[in-house]
Amino acid sequence: MHLKYESQLREPLVTGNKTYHQVTEDIISPIEAKPSKLWYVGFYIAVALLMFGVYSVYREVTYGIGQWNLNKTIGWGWDITNFVWWVGIGHAGTLISAILLLFRQGWRTGVNRAAEAMTIFAVMCAGQFPIFHMGRVWMAFFVLPYANSRGPLWVNFNSPLLWDVFAISTYFTVSLLFWYSGLIPDFATVRDRAKTKLRQKLYGTAAFGWTGSTKHWQRHESLSLVLAGLSTPLVLSVHTIVSFDFATSVIPGWHTTIFPPYFVAGAIFSGFAMVQSLMLIVRKVFALQDYITLGHIEAMNKVIVLTGSIVGIAYLTELFMGWYSQNKYEGYTFWYSRAYLFSPYGWSYWGMMACNVISPQIFWFRKMRRNLFVTFFMSVIVNIGMWFERFVIIVTSLYRDYLPSSWSVYYSPSTYEIGFYLGTFGLFFTCFFLFAKYFPVIAVAEIKYVLKITGDNYKRDMAQVEGQPLESFVHENLH
Amino acid sequence: MRKQHWQSFGELNNTDAFKQSVDNEFKEELIVEDDNKGFLETKAPRRDFLKYLGFSTAAAAVAASCEMPVKKAIPFANKPEDVVPGISKYYATTYVQDGDAVSILAKVRDGRPIKIEGNDLSPLTAGGTSARVQASVLDLYDTARLRFPSIDKNEVTFEKIDKAIAQEIANLGGAPIVILTNTIVSASTKEVITQFLAKNLGSKHVTYDAVSYSGLLLANEASYGKKSIPSYRFDKAKVIVSFSADFLGTWLSPVEFSKQYALGKKIDEKKPEMSKHIHFESVASLTGSNADERFLHRPSETPFLVLSLLNAINGQPVVGIDDKLKKSIEATAKELVEHKGESLVVAGSNDLHVQVIVNAINEALQSNGKTIDWSSTFNIKQGIDAEFATLVADLNDGKVGGLFIYGANPAYTWYDSKKFVDGLKKVKFAVSFNPKADETTLLCKYNIPDHHYLESWGDAEIKTGFYSFLQPTIYPLFKTRQWQDSLLKWSSSSIDYLAFFKQYFIGKTGSETAFDKALQIGIYQAASTLASAPVFILATVSTASSAIGGYKKVTGTEIFLYQKVAIGAGEGTSNPWLQEMPDPITKATWDNYLVVSPTMAKSLLNIDLTNNGQADAYEVKPPKHVVEIKINGVSVKLPTLIIPGVHPNTVGIALGYGRIKSLGKAVVNDNGEPNGANAFVFASYKNKTLHLCNEAVTLADTGTKYEVALTQTHNIYNTNQGNRTEIMKELTLAEYIKAPKEILEEREAEAKPYGGLSKFKEQGTIYPSAINERPGVKWGLSVDLNSCTGCGACVIACNAENNVSVVGKPEVLRGHEMHWMRIDRYYSGNDLDNPKVVFQPLMCQHCDNAPCENVCPVAATNHSSEGLNQMTYNRCIGTRYCANNCPYKVRRFNWADYSGSDSFPNNQKEVLNDVVLNMNDDLTRMVLNPDVTVRARGVIEKCSFCVQRLQAAKLTAKKESRPLVDADIKVACQQSCPTNAIVFGNANDKHSAITINRVENPNRIFYSLEQLHVLPSVSYLAKVRNVAEEGEAVHGAESKHEHKEG
Repeated sequence: MHLKYESQLREPLVTGNKTYHQVTEDIISPIEAKPSKLWYVGFYIAVALLMFGVYSVYREVTYGIGQWNLNKTIGWGWDITNFVWWVGIGHAGTLISAILLLFRQGWRTGVNRAAEAMTIFAVMCAGQFPIFHMGRVWMAFFVLPYANSRGPLWVNFNSPLLWDVFAISTYFTVSLLFWYSGLIPDFATVRDRAKTKLRQKLYGTAAFGWTGSTKHWQRHESLSLVLAGLSTPLVLSVHTIVSFDFATSVIPGWHTTIFPPYFVAGAIFSGFAMVQSLMLIVRKVFALQDYITLGHIEAMNKVIVLTGSIVGIAYLTELFMGWYSQNKYEGYTFWYSRAYLFSPYGWSYWGMMACNVISPQIFWFRKMRRNLFVTFFMSVIVNIGMWFERFVIIVTSLYRDYLPSSWSVYYSPSTYEIGFYLGTFGLFFTCFFLFAKYFPVIAVAEIKYVLKITGDNYKRDMAQVEGQPLESFVHENLH
Repeated sequence: MRKQHWQSFGELNNTDAFKQSVDNEFKEELIVEDDNKGFLETKAPRRDFLKYLGFSTAAAAVAASCEMPVKKAIPFANKPEDVVPGISKYYATTYVQDGDAVSILAKVRDGRPIKIEGNDLSPLTAGGTSARVQASVLDLYDTARLRFPSIDKNEVTFEKIDKAIAQEIANLGGAPIVILTNTIVSASTKEVITQFLAKNLGSKHVTYDAVSYSGLLLANEASYGKKSIPSYRFDKAKVIVSFSADFLGTWLSPVEFSKQYALGKKIDEKKPEMSKHIHFESVASLTGSNADERFLHRPSETPFLVLSLLNAINGQPVVGIDDKLKKSIEATAKELVEHKGESLVVAGSNDLHVQVIVNAINEALQSNGKTIDWSSTFNIKQGIDAEFATLVADLNDGKVGGLFIYGANPAYTWYDSKKFVDGLKKVKFAVSFNPKADETTLLCKYNIPDHHYLESWGDAEIKTGFYSFLQPTIYPLFKTRQWQDSLLKWSSSSIDYLAFFKQYFIGKTGSETAFDKALQIGIYQAASTLASAPVFILATVSTASSAIGGYKKVTGTEIFLYQKVAIGAGEGTSNPWLQEMPDPITKATWDNYLVVSPTMAKSLLNIDLTNNGQADAYEVKPPKHVVEIKINGVSVKLPTLIIPGVHPNTVGIALGYGRIKSLGKAVVNDNGEPNGANAFVFASYKNKTLHLCNEAVTLADTGTKYEVALTQTHNIYNTNQGNRTEIMKELTLAEYIKAPKEILEEREAEAKPYGGLSKFKEQGTIYPSAINERPGVKWGLSVDLNSCTGCGACVIACNAENNVSVVGKPEVLRGHEMHWMRIDRYYSGNDLDNPKVVFQPLMCQHCDNAPCENVCPVAATNHSSEGLNQMTYNRCIGTRYCANNCPYKVRRFNWADYSGSDSFPNNQKEVLNDVVLNMNDDLTRMVLNPDVTVRARGVIEKCSFCVQRLQAAKLTAKKESRPLVDADIKVACQQSCPTNAIVFGNANDKHSAITINRVENPNRIFYSLEQLHVLPSVSYLAKVRNVAEEGEAVHGAESKHEHKEG
């Protein structure tokens, strides 16, 4: 039935006629219950992967980077590929929280908490690679510009790697603050519902004495806005700076001015795909279909098809410039090392093209956008594609650069190289499982803003009223 | 290099007293674990060994200076007057190995010889060295050296073994003793042998060289009545024609010949002229790759080719060879005839008749007396195969009583080694003086290991009347004895070899002072006895040509056995530096393999190199097809490399591989199997000489694969997207004469966006002052690609000077080799089977606008005020960003703890192979240069322009209060170069060689990848090829139809 007061343009962000209490119940009760068997299985797998990662890193630190299959020509391989990949994944969270907050996109509230958590874990994973790719990781503190007793020795502010240090650490700090400030009211809710002393104490500490007073809410709102304002440029800057690692170099295939926007679009692309993968699981496992609706999923799929097409255009532009510049070195990198299917790494380029550019076009169809299976499948495909993209950029540029004499033999990763990558998966999912168990996976306080509970109640009442014979209405209201 | 060669001979004035003191000096015995073990397995306990070494080196440092015997180890309680710790001494001595001899200086630092430099005063090699010479210092510290005299592999004292052998000789009952050696270059040693033979009537001396020059010697005997090899003057030849004589790499006296050859290749820009080198060969060699024109033929065609050439020169019709070769022979003859008296023809063939015809050609060209100098003949490579064959027969017939073996190793190198081994078993006793447990030594009952040459006294009469001296640079590390001493002792001589040697040369030089002086400078030239040029005996020509007429034509596949520049006939196999040195042509390390032409690869392996995808798949994956090679029932399985420059019907295998374990870690792979296979089994013995080629080869792909560690995969620097001429510039002489400014114009065009070359430098950066305003010293290096032959001496010199780690085959396979200096090899030209080859030595270019410097987050690599791009190892955290961003890919990363200098314990064994571990042995480490930091795991390293030498030179100049001059500095690569291709110096000094080099060659100079604007400090002079024909040009835009990938 239609009401003249109801907008039909947008479907409700939360379905299922939830009351405020129900919302709290739905989201907080899993924290209070014992986790399911499935959770334990997942958690242990994640921890096992993490342990393998720790062993791989131990090997590498003890025996040297030679534990990986990098060589004199390919100085970076899986390590930096994984770094950029994880950083890219770490983009969606902040984009969803900050930019969508500024744009007043109400639908973000259903997914922002988990997306932000994902961001933080992804950046944690990303950070492992630049640290442990160092030959002498025990000297890693040399990258910090601190006053030292080694004379006028200072870091090199010209180096994009140093910019990375600042960019990533800033991004991590701001994202963490943003995420945490959002968590405070929810921690207070958990605290208030706690039945054990320990819970009360832990969540109470985490809630920083939140009472829900108007003053608190006012400050909370302002802080959110300020942090959103701070993170917005970071969303653009982090991957821009990561792209500078390549763009400022002299290597054909790296030395490209298109990189900053192209990297940012790619990061959002892969970030959203990762959010999709995770949210579809969380939604299913915690039965949050009412909070993460098909509407959310569709909205994110739209972002995916948009950013996927942007990166597609970037790829084509690169190819075009490879020819148009008539620079033989670039031409070779783009047209032979990458685009020629039968060149040693041709498969990775076409894998990237298939995953990132061709397959997401399926989301032009509404039916596909709203199909959970297709969405999940595509989100995985996109992340594989984005991994390929970084691999293509790094390895196919390096392995054949200027001097044919130094062209590399075929590079494929060693066990410990793969182990390190799997280890970061372990780290990520260990963190994510703990998060899902102990933290409210949906922003309880925030989702209540978009709960159209008053209108829905009115609708329900009116439906009841209109369906009622006049007599009974009069009877009910007069008695 | 220092001109003053330090030397002191106080001891010589008082021989007996000195002897006494030396005898008493090192009473301590070498402490060796477990005497009962076989001598191959014994080891010195590490600590005791170190103690011993510490003592002996310290003592030897002083002993060498011979003031007073010391009883104390370092530090000196009383410092000997002329030994300053930390200051190197240079002793003139001579590298002698397997009959090769090169005059050198040994750099001795705190009692340890650590580096070999060429001796500038030698008129033959003039400071040049080869890779093998450079690497020989490592052999001194080889842990696999035999450490004591032994009987049946059990250690004995010298007294005991002397007694035992005296007994054996007494028991012979008239059966003769044969002294089997490789060529003895030493005049005094020959005298010692003569004395011994005189004492033991019926005994004889047989000279046997693994790779012999019998054919040449016998031909000269036939043609000139002299069984010797004349001097060749490649510098005087305007046209050089070689038939498979690899005279720049392995033939006869390559260092000397390289020096001469390069003189003819030097180009004066104002008057561009150079010699022309035409090469006929079957399997790509270093020399063939340097030739202006190379023609490929079957090994069996050599006799017909030389005969045709003789006919063509004499104006007779050329018949009996195919059209392509006929054309080239006719063209060659034309060139030769045009340059009568200034041309030279040489052949590597061991066929007497071929060499007779070559003699006839040289006679027809009036070379004798001009480019061939009979007044001074070689004393190296005197072995006659037939004499050795007779010995093998005699051995089998039981006609030999005792066999003394020195230098020779026929159990490995003789084509029918089984027969030799069987014969060896029949002698009453055999003594080996070989310093290592080689194949032959293991079969001998007695072994008295000889000193390493750096521990020895002696001389090398390289050419008649030209002596180069050996003097010890370290007290013998082990209980070894010079074999001459043994011979003298057994011929009951009253004096030892040192006294004998001294007496002998005081006699020659006239006085003790003169001898001391000669010893100090390392060389002595007797007053030349002008021998008249021998008369050519014409009659032999017809004999030879009719013999050749009787040769059959071969249709099947043929095999050609070649020597690698680094390995030779096996002398370098146990040396890790040489094993890891990429072969100049194949760029492979640690193995030998079958080389086949691209054409044969298509039929044999079904790999088509003209197909991009297939070529790539072949190149980027180290496992290569294993092929079984079979000749007369002898079969060998080897991996196959496709190498352009090989005749389509010929395959090649390098000699020197497939050695036994006891020679050290470098000869075996990680499974304990020998690296490669012995190719001597395929040699053929015909017409009384040993030929390193054979016919009737059957090849079969086994379907298995074997990994070959190559350091360079791709061959051709032009791609579908364009010819990468900015890397390396090459042009023909004709083009150059026609348009001398072509390279300059190309460079101008590249620099055009920056306002031309004049503004190029200041446009390079937004901080132009940082680049342009650099007063004082500005280091620069220049490589003349026209002189460079790609021999690789510089690579090993750099290894030795800069403590570059050996990483072993598994690591090379993974692209982890550490060489600071490498020689890139590129192919160009239309003919995939026979392309042109160019070598480009590449070290850090020390860019003034270095891309590596600005990407390092911790500023571990930065620029010095003298233009050096310097590495601060302590600061490096190992991000490898600099290596990625280096367009020249010269930066090397320490992937593992190669040098054993890491603070992490026990992290080598699991990941590095025995070769690397052995390089970190306390003994092997004695070769390290204390002036250069040993790099730890996890840091980047690269060429430093030998900064330690630069600092030393600056200090010298400073102490003497004078400006720095060229003579103060020679960087290691420059010093070692036999062709003087490398020039180094202060580019800010108007009078320095580097400035002159750049100013005088404005048309040929270029900087590699100049357009990147990195402003390198290393300049190159373009390669000019003396090819007259138009269309042969392989340069720039004209060469669009070249093959894309090699």
